[in-house]
Amino acid sequence: MNRLAREKRILNLSWFEARQHFRSPRMLALIALLTLFIGGGSWGLSDPDSVVTAQLQMDTPYEILFLVSLFVLFSSTLGVVLLGFDGISRKRLTGELAIELAQPIDRTDLARAQLQGLWFAVFAPTALTCIIGIMLIYAQMDTWPSIGEIVYFMIPTALVIYWYACIQLLASSIAKDLGSSVTLGVGVWMLFTLIWLLVTAVIASLMGVDVTNLESVEYNRFSEIVDLFSPNGVYQLLLENKLTGEDRPTMSATYIWGAAVLWSLIPSVLFLTRFKRLKP
Amino acid sequence: MSGGDPVLQLSEVTFRYRLPNWPKPWLKRLGAGIHKVNLDVHSGSILGLIGPNGAGKTTLLHTIAGLNAHDSGNVRLSGQDREMLGWANAQRHIGLMPERVNWSGTSTPREALRRIVTMRGEGDSPEQLLELVGMRSRMDTPLENMSQGMRQRLSLACALLGSPDILLLDEPMNGLDPVAQAAFRRLLRNLADSGVAIIVSSHNLQEMELFVDSLAILHRGQMVSYGSLQDVERALGCSPSLLIAGNGWCPPSAGSFGVGVTMEMCEAWQGEEWRFTLHRNDGWTSDEKHDVLQAIEGAGGRISLLQTVLPSLEDLLSAATGEAADEIGFEIASDSMIPVRTWEVGEDE
Repeated sequence: MNRLAREKRILNLSWFEARQHFRSPRMLALIALLTLFIGGGSWGLSDPDSVVTAQLQMDTPYEILFLVSLFVLFSSTLGVVLLGFDGISRKRLTGELAIELAQPIDRTDLARAQLQGLWFAVFAPTALTCIIGIMLIYAQMDTWPSIGEIVYFMIPTALVIYWYACIQLLASSIAKDLGSSVTLGVGVWMLFTLIWLLVTAVIASLMGVDVTNLESVEYNRFSEIVDLFSPNGVYQLLLENKLTGEDRPTMSATYIWGAAVLWSLIPSVLFLTRFKRLKP
Repeated sequence: MSGGDPVLQLSEVTFRYRLPNWPKPWLKRLGAGIHKVNLDVHSGSILGLIGPNGAGKTTLLHTIAGLNAHDSGNVRLSGQDREMLGWANAQRHIGLMPERVNWSGTSTPREALRRIVTMRGEGDSPEQLLELVGMRSRMDTPLENMSQGMRQRLSLACALLGSPDILLLDEPMNGLDPVAQAAFRRLLRNLADSGVAIIVSSHNLQEMELFVDSLAILHRGQMVSYGSLQDVERALGCSPSLLIAGNGWCPPSAGSFGVGVTMEMCEAWQGEEWRFTLHRNDGWTSDEKHDVLQAIEGAGGRISLLQTVLPSLEDLLSAATGEAADEIGFEIASDSMIPVRTWEVGEDE
């Protein structure tokens, strides 16, 4: 089978995978989450009368989009957990995995199809809600973000969903039962989304950085470095990079994009390697 | 069994699961598996793979299907080494129906099959296959609404995709009603007649006896006996017995039926009624059964029942391993897949 035919087969299988996710009841929960968080966030934050905090600039549509990214981060990554926490383990428990692994298809191709299917199933509704969010921002501010800003916003969003898809499928391939799947899936999400600040503060304190003033330049620099080890942190840094003035990260964009490349490679390679050795 | 070169040949195939070794999980320890299994399966034949729970039947089927990479030995498909054929080519020879696949989700059998067809990169028609396994009217039923019997049929349809030479069926009769089981057996016979080599696993000897050409008995990861049902029974000294019931004259001992026959009274006298079993190592031919009938009726007995009783799986295993039936039962409940043969020197246990 030539390369083109292989890629076409992977795309077809990804579409089968995504379609299954689209029709699952979990998708309803995801759409509700995305609508409430991204739509609501865009509408509320772009309201000229709203005051979030004096330190946050909310003068341009991109700055609003940057703040909305916090809601994207919360809802879309939770969406990946919702759809993907049992992506492999459920098939293993039902026996479908044995049928799939016994087919004359390279396991890397099968794993890629699974990964792309999950990524697309979350990215498509996220992108759609973000576009609706941009329209809401326009309705409130009467200005559009530029095409470049929209594209720039979408690239890290697609990437962070991809990173989470890799992590969730990797965790699901390790889990032997449904309980472990939930624990691993939600645990990883909680680590990066809810308790990363605490992790950063603990490491900073161990390294002798002053943690009594979280606004200090020293702490900010340190937290930027620790954020490179978190997909959420890298996502935020990528988006901050487009901001102007004091809101830009202090570290060079090369490090941030380098971390983004590594986050794209390492979990994928780990998942593909794991899938190759998978036993039904 | 058909002659010619075997379509599937296993020589000394060994596979052991790797288990985490706490507190050093990177140093895996050897777990249960299959040990030096030899097997020849010819096209057009149906081989019954039988053994108690945990004997290694599924492990053996998964090893043949390439899901477990064997540690040593050789698997040959149509005369070629599995490794030489390459993954995709080797898999095209094999169709696997795993045990009790619990198809779930909102998609339909037609879509599920289409997905597998896409994986195989072949042009099979899902509709034709679903029709073959009797699911024409259920092609668009959501998977989550299907009965276990329907799910079994869908799994069989998946195994039949691409017309494989070797069909591996893991406990296929589970969840099927008797009518569906009969239809399933007919379907397997038709497939075998068209040249497909079929391996069916089960723990039910009586069920197997109805349609297999040969039998392989697995116990604790080892093949303890292999051949036609008659050969296996003869080799293990477990031929079928004759169960006879009647009234009137009752033979006082096995001596009335010739040399080498043993007799076991099953029921005490109930007035004139009696019931006993006759056993001989070579089994019973039709002529011999006729002689037994004549001997009883000639002496004034009236026969109300004459039934051939197959040995149970426990009897066969007991004969093959030399262990008492209750010991085998206990082993099944415990760690039964660890090979019973002596460990090789230097092997890490």
